[in-house]
Amino acid sequence: MSPNRNILVALLVSGATLLLAGCEHPPVAHEQIGYRGTGMERIVNPRTVAANAALHEAPEAAPAVPADGPKATLLYKNLQVLGDLNVAEFNRTMAAMTQWVAPEQGCAHCHNPANFAEDSKYTKVVARRMIQMTRQINGNWQDHVKETGVTCYTCHRGHNIPEKSWFAEREVATEGRLLGNNFGQNRAGMASVANASLPYDPYTPYLLKANEIRVAGTTALPTGNKTSIKDAEATHGLMIHMSDALGVGCTWCHNTRAMAEWSQSTPQRVQAWFGIRMVREINNEYIVPLTAVTPPDHLGPTGDIAKANCATCHQGANKPLNGAAMAKHYPALAGAAKPADTLAERKAGKN
Amino acid sequence: MAEYQNLFTQVQVEGPTSMGIELENARDNDERTLGPVHLHLLGRLGNAQLGPIYLGFFGLASVIFFTIGFTSIGWNYLVQVNYSPIQFVRQMFWLSVDPPAPSWGLHIPPLNQGGWWLFAGFFITVSILLWWVRMYRRARALGMGTHVCWAFAGAIWLYLVLGFFRPVLLGRWSEAVPFGIFSHLDWTTAFSLRYGNLFYNPFHMLSIAFLYGSVLLFAMHAATILAVSRFGGEREIEQIVDRGTASERAALFWRWTMGFNATMESIHRWAWWFAVLTCVTGGIGILLTGTVVDNWYLWSVKHGVAPSYPELWGPVIDPAAVQSAPAVAPAAH
Amino acid sequence: MAMLSFERKYRVRGGTLLGGDLFDFWVGPFYVGIFGVTTIFFAFLGTALLLYAASLGPTWNIWQINIAPPDLKYGLGLAPLREGGFWQVITVCAVGAFVSWALREVEICRKLGMGYHVPFAYSFAILAYVTLEIVRPVLLGAWGHGFPYGILSHLDWVSNVGYQFLHFHYNPAHMIAVSLFFTTTFALALHGALILSSTNPARGEIVKTPEHEDTFFRDIIGYSIGTLGIHRLGLFLALGAVFFSAVCIVISGPFWTQGWPAWWGWWLRLPIWS
Repeated sequence: MSPNRNILVALLVSGATLLLAGCEHPPVAHEQIGYRGTGMERIVNPRTVAANAALHEAPEAAPAVPADGPKATLLYKNLQVLGDLNVAEFNRTMAAMTQWVAPEQGCAHCHNPANFAEDSKYTKVVARRMIQMTRQINGNWQDHVKETGVTCYTCHRGHNIPEKSWFAEREVATEGRLLGNNFGQNRAGMASVANASLPYDPYTPYLLKANEIRVAGTTALPTGNKTSIKDAEATHGLMIHMSDALGVGCTWCHNTRAMAEWSQSTPQRVQAWFGIRMVREINNEYIVPLTAVTPPDHLGPTGDIAKANCATCHQGANKPLNGAAMAKHYPALAGAAKPADTLAERKAGKN
Repeated sequence: MAEYQNLFTQVQVEGPTSMGIELENARDNDERTLGPVHLHLLGRLGNAQLGPIYLGFFGLASVIFFTIGFTSIGWNYLVQVNYSPIQFVRQMFWLSVDPPAPSWGLHIPPLNQGGWWLFAGFFITVSILLWWVRMYRRARALGMGTHVCWAFAGAIWLYLVLGFFRPVLLGRWSEAVPFGIFSHLDWTTAFSLRYGNLFYNPFHMLSIAFLYGSVLLFAMHAATILAVSRFGGEREIEQIVDRGTASERAALFWRWTMGFNATMESIHRWAWWFAVLTCVTGGIGILLTGTVVDNWYLWSVKHGVAPSYPELWGPVIDPAAVQSAPAVAPAAH
Repeated sequence: MAMLSFERKYRVRGGTLLGGDLFDFWVGPFYVGIFGVTTIFFAFLGTALLLYAASLGPTWNIWQINIAPPDLKYGLGLAPLREGGFWQVITVCAVGAFVSWALREVEICRKLGMGYHVPFAYSFAILAYVTLEIVRPVLLGAWGHGFPYGILSHLDWVSNVGYQFLHFHYNPAHMIAVSLFFTTTFALALHGALILSSTNPARGEIVKTPEHEDTFFRDIIGYSIGTLGIHRLGLFLALGAVFFSAVCIVISGPFWTQGWPAWWGWWLRLPIWS
């Protein structure tokens, strides 16, 4: 072989290796979603699923305790939300929460060891609000969480702050600059849109604010829909986040020949619709108000608190913890239903 | 066996450099510049001679306009990565110069609010139009037909529909395609999402059919010519005016294969029309989208084109519609 | 007889791959050969099955007819005829007809003393079809991954398979394939136009020569690939487009299960950037 040919072969081999390095390989697992031949399928890599299995495993529930006994309020002070539990259930809940949220720091993560009752640590204030949030989710968002419900572990998975959360991106400074506006998109390596060059903050407009997600024309001929292509790109970004968070493709919810048509969609789309509104409420009602008590070093680049998105609970599984029903073992987290009309109002933000 | 199939030039004969057909106007000959050089690798596939090129007034003007437009995009990319040449390469596919936000309508915004897109678009468009003039004038100077520049006009039509005609009809620059590699792909998908699936646009169907048809035709034609190149089939002009055995065999091959054959000239008419219609029908399809039709899927349902599939689950109803009608709102929470 | 004026002297016996003289004859303009017979057999059977399967379906609307592959649960096994079995038999017929057609082209090439470029090029189209309907389904483990036979339904399949990967335009092989499709069409326009402009020159001019062609292209872009080269280039571009189309779909699923934008992570993580 001539040296030229050697170099060529070396180049080809290294090029092929590079390409393969970016790839997976058969066999893969599949699941049919829509009618045969429509291409509505889900293809997953079983090796990736196996490697991530531990993440999606729910911890075993603590042994149940008798439902009777003295109320926790008799023994402990400053119980603002867990007061109606009995002592045994209260202690069981506290122990479980410690395992879920602060397994290393223990009780002292939230409590002053000298005085468990006082609210001197901000983490305790946060934890109380989070219990209320969990109850609200379990009680009033069954359209999304069904009977499975959620616990602290659904998001925390043993971490003080859930690993999957989001901060607002710092806006690119355009004031006084002549060039280089990227319009909040076109940036490499943004995990929020899974490396696409789509608008890289799909959260603020849709999971904090209630911007219009629907972009497609609703009639065959133009009847005044002024939605722009840029809006469609932003919606696509949100959808990529949702798919990425659930480990599914677009066909999990849509027959993509008509993305917008509900008659063409799968029942999962309805559940996802409620999920978006649930996350909006979680962020606006429960998480953002805690910004004031959060220490600055826990805040994001624009001074905002870490907020929830679809990945916070799902973490790559289409059902968090693969659908393990943890919540039913913890009466402290059971939902307190609110009057239906306020809820309807809250969910009514159309889109 | 491959060496008999005439896929590459086996033995290269280095002939004298050709400066091109002598033209009467002395400037036409003098302005042929750059090179020429003979490159062995080019000679493996086709002519080894690279250059000369004719510049002329329109060529020079076109190059200048293009350079201004192109570098304005490059500068924007460079600033987006804080002047880091490494990041410039790393992020190249992601970087983009986007058109103005919808709120600007057809107004001219500040440079950094989409003005650069208009700036670059203007200079590149002028450059393309000047290039068209140049092609027309070169064809005429050589006494040839103007088929090349009219084919080019088909591509310009598609380009102008995407970046100018359609945005103007809809009253906002924001509808136009950004200047970026991934970003123009994002635009394409967003366009389809916004307007209800471009696959259901009949002109998109036609355009794709002509695109695939063009590739099919070129494969058929190129393969046929190469297959009869042992009979001098690549001398197409000669074969057109004075049919030889290459033409006869090429014609009979297709006649015997599919019962029909083009002639040495008519195959080029098929080729020209297929390629040109790809752009022309594509441009029509884009131009109708948003102006005349807002949702191609719904349009297809209306006209009985969209198939229906057996239902695998109960009716899925828009929860927003359910919510806004309290009478059927789910009561149990 | 439908024969061109010069045709008789080319109609010679021999050159067949199989069957000797048995089917070495013409019907009207068509050459038959043993592979013509098998082509007719597969094409007729496949078309008849398409029509019969369509007659069992809900519609005769040409846009809406849909002959779908089996459910995934049948894996790589046979499905009942009405549950995708028709699709399976039709696919076999299609491959049979396409391969027969290619081999018949080889026989015609041999009769006419031509190179095998056309059947070779055609085999790339067969490769793309086989990749879509056989190779990829086999790699994924079910015939149900093939595309359905229907004008709009196959577009729906393309749409859904694309969006399984969130943004199919980020598929690198798809990018190359589309670029090659456009480039081929661009080159075809230039070639077709150049020949037409030489043989249909300006009013009052005589027909031009390849020297004019070379001069025109050197004048406008500084390079003319030449009369032979353009056909080599065109063939390579066209076959490249088809080849990368096959690559882009066979890697989607068997060799990549996530969104295609995420695939670009390896590029962003290359050690050379730091």
